[in-house]
Amino acid sequence: MSVTQQTVAVGPPRTERHGSAGAWFGGIHGTELAWAAAFALPYVAVFLAFVVYPVAYGLWLGSQPALYRELFADPVYLRAVLNTVLFVGIGVNVKMALAFLLSGFFLRKSWWTKGLLVIFILPWATPALPAFLSIHWLLNGQWGLLNNALYMLFDIDGPIWLNSRWLGLGSNIVAYIWKWMPFWTVIFLAGRMAIPQELYEAADVDGDGATGYRRFMHVTCPLLATLYLVCTLLSTIWTLGDFSTVYFVSGGGPAMSTEVLATLGIRDAFVLAQPHLGVAAVMSALPVLIPIVVLLMHKLRTSEVQL
Amino acid sequence: MAMNRMGRRSVLRGSLGLAASGSLSMPHIARAAATTATVWQTQGFVPAEDEAIRKVVADYQKASGNKLELTITPFLALMQKTVSALTTGDVPDVVSMDAPDTLLSQNAWDDKLLDVSDVVETQKSVLSPSALLYSYVYNNATKKRAYYFVPYKMSAIPFHVWGSLVEKAGYKLSDAPKTWDAFWDFFKPMQAKLRAKGMRRVYSLGLQLTTVGPNDGNGVFYGFLIANGGKDIVTPDGKLHTNDPAVRQAAIKSVAYMTQAVKDGYVPPEVLSWSDADDNNAYHEKLIVMDFDGTISTELALYHDKQLYLHEMVTLGLPLGNDGKPIPAQVGAGGGFIPKGAKNVPVAKDFLKYILQPKVQSEYLKNGLGRWVTTVPSVVKDDPWWLDPSDPHRAPYVRETLLGPTIPVYNAYNPAWGRVSAEQLWGQAFAAVVKDGATPEAALDKAFKRAEAIFAQYPISVS
Amino acid sequence: MSASLVAARRPRRPRYRLRRVIAEAAASALAIVLVIWSVGPIYNMVLIALDAHGDVFSDAIWPPAPTLESFRIVVTEGYWYLENFWRQYGNSLYVGLSTMFLTLLIGSLVSFTVGRMRVRRGWVLTNAALLTYVIPASFLAIPFYRIMQSYGLANNAWSVIAAEVTFATPYAIFIFQQYGKSIPIELDESARIDGATPLQVYLRIYLPLMAPALVAVGTYALLLAWNEYLYQFLLLSSPASMTVPVALAQFLNSDEAPWNYMMATAIIYALPPIAIYYLFRRHMAAGLTMGGVKG
Repeated sequence: MSVTQQTVAVGPPRTERHGSAGAWFGGIHGTELAWAAAFALPYVAVFLAFVVYPVAYGLWLGSQPALYRELFADPVYLRAVLNTVLFVGIGVNVKMALAFLLSGFFLRKSWWTKGLLVIFILPWATPALPAFLSIHWLLNGQWGLLNNALYMLFDIDGPIWLNSRWLGLGSNIVAYIWKWMPFWTVIFLAGRMAIPQELYEAADVDGDGATGYRRFMHVTCPLLATLYLVCTLLSTIWTLGDFSTVYFVSGGGPAMSTEVLATLGIRDAFVLAQPHLGVAAVMSALPVLIPIVVLLMHKLRTSEVQL
Repeated sequence: MAMNRMGRRSVLRGSLGLAASGSLSMPHIARAAATTATVWQTQGFVPAEDEAIRKVVADYQKASGNKLELTITPFLALMQKTVSALTTGDVPDVVSMDAPDTLLSQNAWDDKLLDVSDVVETQKSVLSPSALLYSYVYNNATKKRAYYFVPYKMSAIPFHVWGSLVEKAGYKLSDAPKTWDAFWDFFKPMQAKLRAKGMRRVYSLGLQLTTVGPNDGNGVFYGFLIANGGKDIVTPDGKLHTNDPAVRQAAIKSVAYMTQAVKDGYVPPEVLSWSDADDNNAYHEKLIVMDFDGTISTELALYHDKQLYLHEMVTLGLPLGNDGKPIPAQVGAGGGFIPKGAKNVPVAKDFLKYILQPKVQSEYLKNGLGRWVTTVPSVVKDDPWWLDPSDPHRAPYVRETLLGPTIPVYNAYNPAWGRVSAEQLWGQAFAAVVKDGATPEAALDKAFKRAEAIFAQYPISVS
Repeated sequence: MSASLVAARRPRRPRYRLRRVIAEAAASALAIVLVIWSVGPIYNMVLIALDAHGDVFSDAIWPPAPTLESFRIVVTEGYWYLENFWRQYGNSLYVGLSTMFLTLLIGSLVSFTVGRMRVRRGWVLTNAALLTYVIPASFLAIPFYRIMQSYGLANNAWSVIAAEVTFATPYAIFIFQQYGKSIPIELDESARIDGATPLQVYLRIYLPLMAPALVAVGTYALLLAWNEYLYQFLLLSSPASMTVPVALAQFLNSDEAPWNYMMATAIIYALPPIAIYYLFRRHMAAGLTMGGVKG
């Protein structure tokens, strides 16, 4: 590992200043290196101790081609792939878009917005297991809270939500968004709070014209675009492996029509005692996963100072 | 150290009397260097079950001088923990698991378990044949069956009936017909009667056609299949007999009856997506008159409420089959297995021998309130507790599980059945009939075809 | 407050006021939607918790005979799954706060090194960290079980903390890096010119400016550890050494459970992380003013 004076292109004024800084850097090159090494050491240790072996082991578990033949022979598999695409594709994107917009709303300075934020993050703090069970029960067609409320308030007989594939899948997606949107909102809120106020003031030269829109399009969006992309890609990877939403809300029913790869994997690994097959089920998403990881790597690599 | 060893020796001397009664006589173990064994145990449904296993472990430690490290873990987590252990090789000495069905037969197939025939042999003559069959599983490496499991508890699926609702509807449970379909039919008219009396949300049958259960829907279907004469869909040699016309007919009749009951509105329409707990919830809230669900935990959960437990709820064993002949109840077993690579096999086996003893397992299961039944039929004849008529649930449940005709769950015959169940082939057939209007024949042919493909991957050469 | 400032600067025009009223009305409507959306499933949990029998099915949308009995049971450890409740609560705080602290520390140090100290191949480290997420955590349980045995960490709370930190830190690094982009590097450089060591820059400039991200990611790490239970069952053996989610998961062990106790536990348990987030959050102003830092 070595320390460089300049890895990225910066604006002209900065380059000027860099000359003097470079000389300063060069003077204590060794100490600088020691600091960098010391700062990176804890994570390097965590990585070597807890990441290298487990991940290699996991990849090895799912490495036999025969597993994939067995997987594809499962008649539920293809449907689970489609469900996974819908669950992850819709769930992640809707969640992220809403979270991004709401983070702007929660930037408002009124006292009740702060109180509202506390209520808003309740789903995130609530343990997933009882929360999803509660959702499973409130969706009950005969005796559930949702249909009771629909009946009392609007005199409508709601459907039996979890008896239909599409309503079931939709319920899983909505439950997933409900649980995780607050988390990403908080992340984007932090991102917005990092934007220096001066930048907004600079964009505000025209007075009160379309300020909100301009601020959003010319300052917020460009500054948070990479953060948004990185978060969306990461969330996609995580959601591919998320089994608890589907497992507890629809349970994969009716008739296995809302299963996703992760629930099939959990079943194969821990109910059928065939962990190789279970890992293969989630690893069969690698054709999607690898481009995401490559893109993420690229983004993380070039994501140094760009202002 | 010296103190310790002294203590152990004196305990050993003291336990000689106990040792004489059972088959606990391996003094060389106590002298072995590693006398600590780890035991993983499934958590019980009621606290008494956990207390009971702790007492067995404490008693064993006292009697043998060996030390056991007991860890009690809920069922799903224990499955994950056990699979992790068996995959990586860092295993405990004993896994004492309730109904390990597929986990047992699959890992025996994969040659990951230790042959414990010598342990089973100590009590073989007195054990229930179905418990023995459950434990006699196939190893694909040795191409042989052997005992890979030490069964010391059993369970079956009984009927749970709200006697109070039956009476409220104007019927008497003693009038219930003796054959299977007629027995189910008996409850159907109660729905209208109870609704007329103001229970407008009540349904007659807790007939679980769910795929979500994950086992509830399968269990109900196998009950119907057997009642209709399809018991031999899998035989003890591990072969699938979907091409047997009797099996096919039985399966078609079962699917037809079950789906028709839903279509006729005697079953809450939700059953297609009921989770494991939902039938119990509906039953506890008196939203269904009867339910067919494993073990008497449904009743034991209300043990504290004497009015409900003693006077309102009724447990019934199986009626006769539709041909008027007795039908076997399908039973699961609980017990212990030893993973290959266990560090302390002698103590592990010694403990399993200890707990397998009729007296020890009987006391253990009695302390657990009888949710699990002993695997030794003679025990319940000698000890009046098991068939105590003042408990309305235990006696019928014990008769069904142990004294009537029984067969083990098919997973024991071939691990392929575990996949058949986990893929919810029957539940998918129900949904195809109820939701998509398929005929039972067409729905079953699809299920049978898939079952045959799964069994083709699990050929068993020697029986 | 901001509104009055703006108002002082400009003449009050009817059009402007109308727009403000519309904006306020829209915000209020959105707030109502958000409250219903967020609270809906939790309200159902409360309904179950307030029911004397823990009935999950009902035809009411209001508790017919509410009782706080299940909350009393939880806080007095009156049910066998909850017999270690307060002890486990303490464990939750220990495991959660340790995970939070370590994740923030390790993550911020790495992102400072890579993003601010301009280590040429620093990206190798952040890219490698991504490997952690290639296989979902629930499937990494198997190898984790094995390495904790080899490290002799089995049955030790630190095995759980280590696992949580492993899963939380890469995310922390990525977010810190993205976030750090909007903090001008000139701040660091001018401090360096004034003779500050990297450690001083990290402590005095980097961490304070990262405060909102530290709060957000810290809450993430806290909640990750706060609500996790599978790894605890896998790596620990005594219920007394586990955290509250383990008690919650036990309710699923059987198909019968007093759901009112489960829901009451979940509600009581969800509050502290929110309080922690809120406490930190309210001390941060929205939108940094660079001028103050520079000057």
